[in-house]
This record gives sequence, C-alpha cells and structure tokens, in this order.
Amino acid sequence: MTHTRRSWMNLLGACAAGVLCLPAAGAADRVEDGGRAPKVLQLPIRTDGPKSLDPVEGSTTYDNMACVQVYETLLEGAYWNPREMEPRLLAEMPTSDDGGKTWNFKLKPGVVFYDPSPNPCFGGKPTRPIRTDDVFYSLKRLADKKYTYENYWLIEGAVEGLDEFKATQANNAACDYDAPVSGFIKISDSEFQIRLTKPVYRFLYVLSMFQTSIVAREAVEHYGAAFDETPVGTGPFAVERFVQKQSLSLVRNPYYHEVFYPERDKWSDEDRRLRMHRPAGERVPFVDRIEFTMFVEDQPMWLQFDAGNIAYTEVPAEYFEKAFNKRTKELLPEMRERGIRAHNDLLLDFIFRGFNMEDPVVGGYSERAKALRQAINLAMDLNEFNETFYNGLNFVYDGPIPPGLDGYPPDGMAPHSYRGPNLELARQKLAEAGYPNGQGLAPLQFYTSKGSNNAEQLDLMKRQLARIGVRIDGQLVDFSTLIEAVNKKKAPFFSFAWSSDYPDAENNLALFYGPNEAPGANHYNYKRPEYDAMYEQIRVMPPSDERTAIYERMRDMLIEDAPFVGSMARVRYYLVAPWALNLRPTERHWSWFKYVDVDDSKRP
Amino acid sequence: MWSFILRRLLYNIPVYLGIVLVVMLILRVNDPVYAALGKNPSVEEIQAKRESMGIDRPFVEQYGRFLKELVTLDFKRESWDLKIPVKQLLDRTILPSLLITVPTLVTSTILGIGIALVAAYFRGRAVDKTLMILAVLGMSVSYLVYVIVGQYFGAHLLNQSLAARDLDPLFATSGFDPALSDLGTWARQPARNAGMWITYCCLPVLIGVFVSVGYDTRFYRAVMVEETGRDYIVTARAKGAGNRRVMFIHMLKNAMIPVITRVMISLPFLLEGAIVVEVYFGIPGMGRTLIGAIEAKDFPVIETFTALLAGIFILSNILTDVLYALVDPRVRLS
Repeated sequence: MTHTRRSWMNLLGACAAGVLCLPAAGAADRVEDGGRAPKVLQLPIRTDGPKSLDPVEGSTTYDNMACVQVYETLLEGAYWNPREMEPRLLAEMPTSDDGGKTWNFKLKPGVVFYDPSPNPCFGGKPTRPIRTDDVFYSLKRLADKKYTYENYWLIEGAVEGLDEFKATQANNAACDYDAPVSGFIKISDSEFQIRLTKPVYRFLYVLSMFQTSIVAREAVEHYGAAFDETPVGTGPFAVERFVQKQSLSLVRNPYYHEVFYPERDKWSDEDRRLRMHRPAGERVPFVDRIEFTMFVEDQPMWLQFDAGNIAYTEVPAEYFEKAFNKRTKELLPEMRERGIRAHNDLLLDFIFRGFNMEDPVVGGYSERAKALRQAINLAMDLNEFNETFYNGLNFVYDGPIPPGLDGYPPDGMAPHSYRGPNLELARQKLAEAGYPNGQGLAPLQFYTSKGSNNAEQLDLMKRQLARIGVRIDGQLVDFSTLIEAVNKKKAPFFSFAWSSDYPDAENNLALFYGPNEAPGANHYNYKRPEYDAMYEQIRVMPPSDERTAIYERMRDMLIEDAPFVGSMARVRYYLVAPWALNLRPTERHWSWFKYVDVDDSKRP
Repeated sequence: MWSFILRRLLYNIPVYLGIVLVVMLILRVNDPVYAALGKNPSVEEIQAKRESMGIDRPFVEQYGRFLKELVTLDFKRESWDLKIPVKQLLDRTILPSLLITVPTLVTSTILGIGIALVAAYFRGRAVDKTLMILAVLGMSVSYLVYVIVGQYFGAHLLNQSLAARDLDPLFATSGFDPALSDLGTWARQPARNAGMWITYCCLPVLIGVFVSVGYDTRFYRAVMVEETGRDYIVTARAKGAGNRRVMFIHMLKNAMIPVITRVMISLPFLLEGAIVVEVYFGIPGMGRTLIGAIEAKDFPVIETFTALLAGIFILSNILTDVLYALVDPRVRLS
C-alpha cells in the first residue's frame, strides 16, 4: 500500500483517532540512495511460515525458504537447473584425490558475515570475513545436544570423528566447540579438508542443504537465545523484521559478495524462449527488499495474487480451473492477457501407502505375505485417486524413485510391476496369500492423518479394496499421532509421503535401508540383507551408469516385495505476476529469490 | 462483598487445580516427542528431545512446575514449536486478538440490545417480524461463509473498485501491521495505529458483528419481551411514564441480569480470539496460535493458554455474581 493515491486509510484513521493531522500511514515511498525508488519483492509463504531462522533448528520448507536468503551454504542448487550444484561460499567445486573420502575446499574470497544491528557482534563492526573455523563450527552445531540433534541425521556417520565428538559432548553441560574432530582438517583460514568415514557421495548434497548453512560463532554467542530471530549471515539479504506466523521483511545486504546471474549458455532453449537468460551476467540481488507474508488459507493468497500484490502463487487445487483449462492444463487466455505467466514444477515426491513389514498379517517376506501386499497394490487404482482428488494433476509412477532422478523407470512404468487396477490378478494373489476373496482376513488397520481430503481418500480406498474382499479399518488421526504410530511400529498400513532432500535417488532408497528402521526413516521396517548390501554400495558411488543399474535393481526388488502401494508425485502449478521478472519457481531449493527482479511499471 | 469474593476464590482453587491436572493428563495420553523430531531419529536423539522438552521428568514434577508458573505468572517455558518463551508469545498475541474480539463484542452487544428494544417495542408488528427474519437469516449461514464472502467482496472487490477510482484500498485482504500489537506504538502514534486498525481489523470486526448480532438480537429480544409483561412496567405506565422512559430506563435496567450473564460468558472467549477470522485474515492472535499449538502438540502453549482461559472463566463467573448485586438490589452476596 505504498501508492500516491488519496489515502482512505489515513483519512479514516484520523477520524477514528480524532486527529486531523496524520503521519501518513501509507506514506510516500522511501527513496533509495541514488534517487530511485526501492525495488520491493512481495512473496507468499503458504502456511504459518518459518519457525526459526537458525538453520540448525530448521526443518521445514518454510524454514529453508527464509534461512537461505540470509545464510548461505558451501554449495547451492543452480537456478538454471536445480538438479545441478554450484559453489556458493566456495571458490570452486570441492575436489577429492582419493575417490571421495577426503574433500578439498577453498573458500571464496570477499565473503563476509553481515550484522545489521546497531550493536554488531563483530567487535562493533558490521562485517567479518568468513573463515575455515566458521565452517567447522557450523557443522559441529549439528552435533550439539542443545539443538537436540534435529538435523544430525544429515551427517551422521559421515565425517570422521564427528560421531565421537557428539558422543563426548553429550556428557558435557555445554558443547566444547574447540574440541577437535579428526575429519576437520584446517589448512588455512580459507582452505580446509573434510575427511569422511567412507566415500559418501551424498555428502556434497548435504553441503547444499540449508541446515548446513555457515554461521558465525560470535553471532551465536552474542545473541544467545535470540539468535534464531536475529540472524547474521553472508547471504544476499539481512533480516529487517521477523514476526513469527506473520511476516518477514528482508533488506539487501550491502556487503554481499559478487554473485552473478547465470550466463546465457547455461539456460535451456525453453528457458531462453521464456527470456530467463535476459539479465545474464548481471550482479545479484536485483531487489532492495523482500516482504514475505504468511497465508494459512488459500483464499487470501489467491486474492492477493489476483490483486497483483504478490509476485507468484501456487495454484491451489480448488482454484485450478480459474487459471487453467482443466483438460489441456494450459493457462486461460484471460490470464495470459493480463501478462500472467505459468510455470510448473514436478516435485521430487514419493507419495505412498506403506506396510509395516514387522506386522504379523501384512508384513514379512514369505510368498504368502508378499502376495497379500501385491494383491492390495493390484486392487488399487491410483489414477482414480489422481483424477478424483488432484484434478489429474499428479504423476503416478512405479517404485520409490521420483520422476527426473536416475533409476526412475521410463514413463514411470517399471518392467514388472503390480500397479492396479487388475482385479483378476489381485484376486488370484489374494487367494495365493491364503485369503480367497478376502475370507479369513481381518479388516486391516490403516492409519492416515485427518485434514485435507483424507477422509474421502479413505472412503475411495475402502471401496477399491472391497472389490477383492479386503476390508479396511480406517484410523483417521492427527499427524503427530500418525507419526507416533508409525515410529512405534503400531501402524500395520499407513499413508505417508516423502519429499527428497536432494536430487539423488539414494535419498529415497535409504528409506528401505534396514538400519534406518523406525523410528528412523525406514517406516516400513523393511530389512533385506541383499538390499542393504546394494545400498551400502551405491552410497559411496558417484553418479554413473553402473550406479543407475544398481538403483534399478533395488527399485525392482522393492516393487516385487511391495512394502508400499505407490507411487505418486505432485506437479506444482504456479502463476507469476507480470511485474516479477526472471521468476521461475522451483521447490528444489529456495535460494533463487536473489535472481528475481521487479518492474514496477507493470504493477496494476 | 470482599469476603464473598475471597470465599468464591478459595472455593474455586481446587476446581482450577483439577482443570489444570485434567488438561495436562489428557495431553500426555499420546507421546508428543515424535511430532517434534527430525528425520531418522535415533533412540538417543529421541531421549535428548524428551529431556529438552522436560517430559522425561515425573508427572508430579511437571505439574508442580507449571503450577509455580501460574502462581507467579512467569511463563518462561519455551514453546516447543516456536522456540520462544510462552510469555513472549502471550505478549505478542493477546493484543491482536483483543483488537478483534473486544470491538466485536461491544458493537454486537450494543447493536443487539438496541435492535432487540426496537423489536420488543414493535412486538408482533412488521418491524419486529422483519428484524427477526433478518436475525434468523444472519444466524442461519455459517461463520466461515461470512468470512470467505466478506473477504472477497468486502476487501478484494471493494479494493479493485476503489483502485479504478484511483483510491487506496480501504480494507486489507489479509495481513497485520506488527505495530498494532505494541502498546507503546498505540501510545506514541494513535492516529497511525487507528488507521492501521481500520485497514487490517475493521473488516474482520464487521464480519464478526454481522454474525453475532443475529444471535444477540434474538436473545435480547426474548429478554425484553419477557420484561414487557412485568408488573413494574404496568406500574410505570400507570404512573404516566412515556414509552421511551419505560423502554430505556425501567426495562433496560431490569433486563441487565441476562445481559450481564451473556456478556460475562463471552469474556473468556475474547482472549481465545476469533479463530476463523484470525486464520483467514492473517491476524496473529491467540486463537490462531492455539490452533497451531494443538496441531504441533506444543504442550507449553496449550497448557498455558488453557489454564489462563480457565482462570478467566472462573474470575468472570465471580465478577458476574458481583455485577448482579450491583445492578439488582434484590441480589445479596452471601
């Protein structure tokens, strides 16, 4: 509301307060140094937004979205292709001379932490250059009991000596960050090595995840408990104001190091057609401020986008037909006429219904148990779920590897699968399991969370499985109860979803690795020594055809054992306002706001 | 009167302790630790989380610690979800809720009583029937519908129409100015905050009033109609009191007992906030916070909010009795 129009708000405000002269509530625009009006990027956050701005305490997409504007990671997903990584706080990509066990890092010169507060933590100065010790300190924080190890799983068992550091420090009242970790080898203030327990390729992906953002020790110690609201980072923006569940305002970091918009040749032909390469080579960030608004409900977010007040919006399912042709999925002409652009993003989702492999009825590895799970797979029609509940927008596929990743079957169809509906085969399998037409099979307890349309989804599932005589005892519970039931191995059959942490199928295949059993991420408690051996093999392999072949074997083994019914991935549809330039939303990472520009002349 | 208040307070202490006990016990039926864990937690990490949440301690200790917080009103426990002390959360959320609920209650009560008086005055006639039909219509539609429609027409379309006339938006579609939750800013810049209140809170209040006034009118009309048949009304008329005096002096004063009851019952809900409007309009009040806390199994917040609401409920009950005595000399506090 920073227009130069007559202000109703001010007038009424004056009346309400009984005051004639007002400080302008929707006052004139601030003017940046140099005389131009500040460029402000207004963005939505769907839900209540970030809970914390301390990366080590963060876990949700929204924590990620906020943290990476202020903090940076050693590596970062590329804007031009989110599957690719590029160095951010590093001068170059890390190298290894011993097959991935020891990695060499060189920090980028000119990167500084920026503390915008009037009483900065760096001895009164607003900035301090980043150093090797900051990297080690930030990674050690993951192993600090104070933060309840919320994100330690990312590097558990990976770095030589870090597990021991964690175990030792767990007995201390406060973590001793000066205690050494043998895998952290300092060469100089700008060069260092990290030695892993074994070559783990995913380690590089971990270094691009926001929880491993680099923080300054002085800032953590200076701000203490308030550190999660007063971040001091190296990122393109600094926090001006953060009000939990309400709003987050960021301002441009005046000391941000040199980062440039991706060069023209990086962009695909399609991206170039969309003019995504337009500011190639220009220094970022482009905007002076970012203002996030949290939206718990879809309607206000939709209306704000419709009014031109936010740069982009996800298209909630109930609004899909207001923007797109349901059949062709193309943007409606009236939207196009307004200059609104559409983008879609296939998410790395693995949406499934899982079985507890330790359950006496649905679990186990015998032919009978397997046949029961296969029968349930064959009886279910995921396309009907997709059409009924998601306007046909989701993507149904075989196996646990989402589209776009190595090991994903062509067109989503594995060479051999039990994808339904195939009722004849389902009945046959059910009979093989010892339950002809479901006889002798007690209703299966199925846990799913309340909310959204899960009750209706449960009804459809009951109807589909009833066709072969399988009955479902639905347990609609709140999400935390669902997690508890699954983690305590009490749920024989449950509905869950996994969103990949990084674009490598290893992340999804880890969900079936025996040692990760509940309460770990292996919610199925799937334990097959052959599978575990393959997982241990691929964990240390860099991307290659050989690794992909093993991924496929693991995928097919899972399809055969059927510890889940699946799978489905969401396609996120976005609308972008005409005044938001270079904006192509992706959820693979959130550090791309610095590449977005605004053209105020195109605002309504 | 003071001995009455003191006695009532003492009587209610066991009730209050019981409420807090029951709330804490019910919450602990399910283990909250799993909702707060990261991915792939080990048994050791689960234990660390349990310790950090304080639920590894015996229940009696947890209960005692919380009672101490209640007695000292020092809610220093951290919200498990938001990682800030509950006291800070209360400070942030009480005012936004009150900015919606108090004007809603006051306006709808005044309007409700006013319309009820008019309806009672014209009892059985077209005016009365029309008002009651409107009240029933207002009551018949879900609050959620009013909020969704009100937001669309009252903010979005209205703003578009104003923009076409080169005027600023009147009501925000959603959002909240953080300065509104700061009493200091209200003291320093009342005009600015009043303007912001109109922008961000007025429409939710209008919607709330629209919803409440139907219920209030029906209730107060019934009260007023009942009063019109009382002997004191006949006496007043016999003594030559005019209609206006009978309605606004004699009848209104005597109808205050049910009015006080209804208003006082609403008091605890002022703090609870108007959950639906808070969610739709992005107002960071107590209702929205409490719902978020319930979803996240954030015990420190749920327990504190519930205990405070229970306390206010008990206090408002006592206050109701005191007010009865003040407005009706026949009532004696004993």
